[in-house]
Amino acid sequence: MKKIFLVLMIFILPVMAQAQQSYLEVTAPGNRQLQLAITACKSLSGIQVTGIASEIDDALRFDLTLAGPFSVMPGTGGNNDSGIRPGEFKFAPWKAVGADMLIKSSYKVSGNSLTLEFRLYDVLKEKEILAKRYSGTIHDTRKIAHIFDDQIMLAITGEKGPFSGKIAFVSNLTGNKEIYLMDYDGYNIQRLTRNGSINLNPDFSPNGREIIYTSYKRRNPDLFRRELFTGAEADISHHHGINITGAYSPDGKRIALAMSKDGNSEIYLIDKSGKQLARLTNNPAIDVSPAWSPDGSHIAFTSDRLGKPQIFIMNADGSDVHRLTTNGAYNDRARWSPKGDRLLYCRMEGNGFNIYAINPDGSGDTQLTSEGSNEHPRWSPDGRFITFSSKRGGKEAIYVMRADGSGQTKVSRGNAGDSHPTWSIRW
Amino acid sequence: MSHSLQRNDSEFMWMLLCSTALHVALYLLLVKFNFSAVPFKEGPVYYVDVVTLPVANPRAGTPSTPGSAPSKPAQQEMALPAKSTPKTVSKPISAAKKPAASTETARQFEERMAKIEREVDAKHVSAALNALQKKVAASGNGGQAGMPGAKGTEAGSDYAAYIRSRLMDAFSTTISFQSKNPEVMVRLTIDRNGKVIGSTFLKSTKDRIFEDSVRRTILKAEQTFPPPPGGARFEYIYRFAPEGISKK
Repeated sequence: MKKIFLVLMIFILPVMAQAQQSYLEVTAPGNRQLQLAITACKSLSGIQVTGIASEIDDALRFDLTLAGPFSVMPGTGGNNDSGIRPGEFKFAPWKAVGADMLIKSSYKVSGNSLTLEFRLYDVLKEKEILAKRYSGTIHDTRKIAHIFDDQIMLAITGEKGPFSGKIAFVSNLTGNKEIYLMDYDGYNIQRLTRNGSINLNPDFSPNGREIIYTSYKRRNPDLFRRELFTGAEADISHHHGINITGAYSPDGKRIALAMSKDGNSEIYLIDKSGKQLARLTNNPAIDVSPAWSPDGSHIAFTSDRLGKPQIFIMNADGSDVHRLTTNGAYNDRARWSPKGDRLLYCRMEGNGFNIYAINPDGSGDTQLTSEGSNEHPRWSPDGRFITFSSKRGGKEAIYVMRADGSGQTKVSRGNAGDSHPTWSIRW
Repeated sequence: MSHSLQRNDSEFMWMLLCSTALHVALYLLLVKFNFSAVPFKEGPVYYVDVVTLPVANPRAGTPSTPGSAPSKPAQQEMALPAKSTPKTVSKPISAAKKPAASTETARQFEERMAKIEREVDAKHVSAALNALQKKVAASGNGGQAGMPGAKGTEAGSDYAAYIRSRLMDAFSTTISFQSKNPEVMVRLTIDRNGKVIGSTFLKSTKDRIFEDSVRRTILKAEQTFPPPPGGARFEYIYRFAPEGISKK
């Protein structure tokens, strides 16, 4: 026994001694952005196709400026070497202009098909970080750039970016509130519904292949589920009264929604086919806008059970209801962050709304918007960004911003009146 | 019981009488030898405003108080030596005490004072050198001193602190993070040429951007590292964190 103890001490003591080793603090103020240089996309085939290089440059700059960790350098700093592969250019000029990172790209067009090659370099280390080659059609140019930007975010931050995701939204483009789909930066708009009625509150399934939305096309606010690739649609909740604010559970198997079939608006749980699973609230007040926690264990919702609309949280089985928001007289439309650490909601202030973020325990209540009336906040799939609708520019439009409220940028391209955005994963 | 008490009272009385007699005798003794009245001389107290200390001519006596009327410059309290400069000043202290003739100019006086100071400094240096020589002789290592194998071009003994200063300079140009309280502890190994041959991340809050900024810091700072003292390999742990974020 003594021998074992002795042997153990021989091994443990050096480890303990090492653990107590002294160290020196190295600190610095601020939080610097990485200086990112982007060179013009080169044609490898010698055929210059108008618009490809500028489209790639535009998409890369838009995504990476919004991203947060980068400060995209204007122009190319006068350095636009011919090659994009390691050894085909020198790092020294890029170091001289203060670049930390460098993106080089080239394209090759053959008929309608397009091959794009991107390379990301660490200028200081003189090392290639990322190299990707994509094939597609000329129409996929922006999409490919977004996909590469997602990969850049993965390489630099350890988490993939959301830039290749889509935003579903409601637009008044045709004079009716129809559901549309667009790239997160407002390009490639596709119309999804054509019923000439009022369509509201789209919500993506976790895999991004389906949406649910409320439509008045049968003269009652019913809930519909639509497969995006096939266009197949099903009426999954058409009870008398409202069937609104549907939200997919994180596993995609259940849907929480507000229905008033039993008298007043309550939160219910249904499966994807519309079969009712449970009634979660039972209160004479109005309960609407359910939002799932990312682990599916809790649901946040809006209720006026204490007089004014406030955000409440309950267990996913309807038990243990407690109030989340205590500030403001009117709080609505909560959305849980993908990491579960924050909830977005909008608060009525004056004649409009502003977007706030709060911790699930009620602390850290922070105002994110202040200009105009801002509503319908939704997280990007990675939780880094928020999309919302704002009336700050006159007509309601879709905006994106970083999770801390910085970098608020309008992405709606038209001026028709866009609202109810929701951001999908890449598909 | 009462008997016992009576006996104790008489003993106490005797002790009290003895104590009183001894105290009286001691007092008389002190009075006789004048110990009781030890004179307390209160020294003069000077207040010097070190912030707005006026620059005065040392011969001009106390500096004039601000706001008072300008004093007459001709009135000199310290007598000046007759000759401009003494030929030899063998004893600086006594020379300083010598009354200066009133004809000595301010420049001459300053030169004389500077000379005195130089001589005092020379004395101190000489004494320190003698002490060092004695110490080296006593150590018995053939007169060798300092870092073994050192050539005199190496960084000082606080090499770790010097490396830290180089890292801090580089860190201020690279710091970047995305989490709330990022922290990285790195064991840095520097070879005898001042080149970083190892940087092991011992602890990290897994903020990839912050980790990368620390790597950049080391890469940038490495270019300014001198060889470690004694031509030996250097190893130390550094904790990187944004300024103002305390250790958890």
